[in-house]
Amino acid sequence: MKTLLTLLAGATLALSAHGAGAQTLKAVKDRGELNCGVSRGLPGFSQPDAKGTWTGFDVDFCRAVAAAVLNDPAKVKFVPLSADDRFPALQNSAIDVLSRNSTWTLEREAKLNLLFGPITYYDGQGFLVPNSRKVLSALELDGSKVCVQSGTTAVGYTEDFFKTNTMKLELVTVPTSEEMVKAYEDGRCDTLTTDVSQLFALRLVMKKPADHIVLPDVISKEPLGPVVRQGDDQWFNIVKWTHYAMLNAEELGVTQANIEAALKSQKPDVKRLVGNEGNYGEQLGLTKDYAVRIVKAVGNYGEVYERNVGTGSKLAIPRGINQLWNLGGIQYAPPAR
Amino acid sequence: MAFSLRILALTALVQAGALLFGTMAMAQYTPVPPRGIGAALDVGDQPGLVPPADDEVDMDPAYRRQPVYFRTSEPAGTIIISTNDRFLYLVEGNNRALRYGIGVGRDGFTWQGLVKVVRKAEWPDWTPPAEMIQRQPYLPRFMAGGPGNPMGARALYLGGTVYRIHGTNQPDTIGYAVSSGCFRLVNSEVIDLYNRVPVGTKVIVRQAVEL
Repeated sequence: MKTLLTLLAGATLALSAHGAGAQTLKAVKDRGELNCGVSRGLPGFSQPDAKGTWTGFDVDFCRAVAAAVLNDPAKVKFVPLSADDRFPALQNSAIDVLSRNSTWTLEREAKLNLLFGPITYYDGQGFLVPNSRKVLSALELDGSKVCVQSGTTAVGYTEDFFKTNTMKLELVTVPTSEEMVKAYEDGRCDTLTTDVSQLFALRLVMKKPADHIVLPDVISKEPLGPVVRQGDDQWFNIVKWTHYAMLNAEELGVTQANIEAALKSQKPDVKRLVGNEGNYGEQLGLTKDYAVRIVKAVGNYGEVYERNVGTGSKLAIPRGINQLWNLGGIQYAPPAR
Repeated sequence: MAFSLRILALTALVQAGALLFGTMAMAQYTPVPPRGIGAALDVGDQPGLVPPADDEVDMDPAYRRQPVYFRTSEPAGTIIISTNDRFLYLVEGNNRALRYGIGVGRDGFTWQGLVKVVRKAEWPDWTPPAEMIQRQPYLPRFMAGGPGNPMGARALYLGGTVYRIHGTNQPDTIGYAVSSGCFRLVNSEVIDLYNRVPVGTKVIVRQAVEL
């Protein structure tokens, strides 16, 4: 009897855990809208225009999830959040997913009961120098006067990097990024350092952007990606496979433009991606063609990257480390099978 | 930036206009589509066109030569051409490469694999192949090297193929697939590349994945 009760209790627990676990997908479907937390305004990543239409790399991820879940990339309520508000908003269920250039760290997962990943954008601290210095590598920066924003982790990383590589460093700390550009243009320093994506944004506001170069070296790890609450594995899987569908689409050559042709492809990998073989989308709790809807809505990963932060944008950030694993980068999706 | 394209579109319009209406007051030009993955441009070769000096200066920063992170098992000194996203990489080792923006041929070039640089030339002469003459009958049968030559300032001949890496007199076609041609860089950058790579350099050509 006791065993039976334990069994029953166990079964109930398992059921309720599963019930709780499946809540986000159901809640989003019932609501008919995805609540997506984004940055309040960051060029290339998330920005509203005058009419309130949001665009950007992080924004497109929200639209991709909405396309996969609700079959409509427009059914997203963008919730602009400050750095302080972003994790509480997730914890109190004000948003279903956070897509706000947030760095994945141990503490944020373990202490805040959140789940990060996949990494949609590998960022990290880099250096910007004038072309006239003829420097092509961060190891050639011996004796540089480096401008850095005070109170950021970049200060420590810079000191460590110069010390580790036995180079002389003169740090010039300034309070804001605007003043950092001014100090650099006034000649108070000959090198700028902050996250690479930020360096490209700062270069845009310089008098002659083409006269400066961002070095390819990255000296810190800033893995950025979407965040969800712990306890809903199905929803976490949907978020993960939204990104992986975009990566696999790029790797297989499936684009917004050729998606109709892809539906007729005889290649097994393409057939699985578009839902003509197997029922992989259904296994996620979606429909077979979820990846088709994602690509139709925002394009594959490369298209999203180039449109928002790459060759199609003013930022012009090279794919670099965010290139596919087989083309020089480290973006890698598990096989969709 | 799109100076010579505008010139081309204008020239075409003026010619058509002169033919049909006598005069043509239209100052419009074909809007240029965004560069990048899969971008194509319907523009022919313009032998004799000498690009204005500021054309290269105005070049889209995304397509300028720059050092980038690049992970590969190929040794330093290898050239890797990624036709789909319009970039040429010169591998430098230690996870880095110099990246150059290129224009690529649009029609028929689906070859991929490994070739070698077998010859280098400064201000190469140009003898358009028969297929090109057929497509663009106005092309000369031979043109001596120089600033108005579509081959541009330098050429690296790829062994066993009719293809080459060369300069251009149409800097604003970088970032696009254009109606003919091989792999084109702006002149200042093809000169830079020419000075960095010797005859015998390995060249790997990658095409877009087929569905």
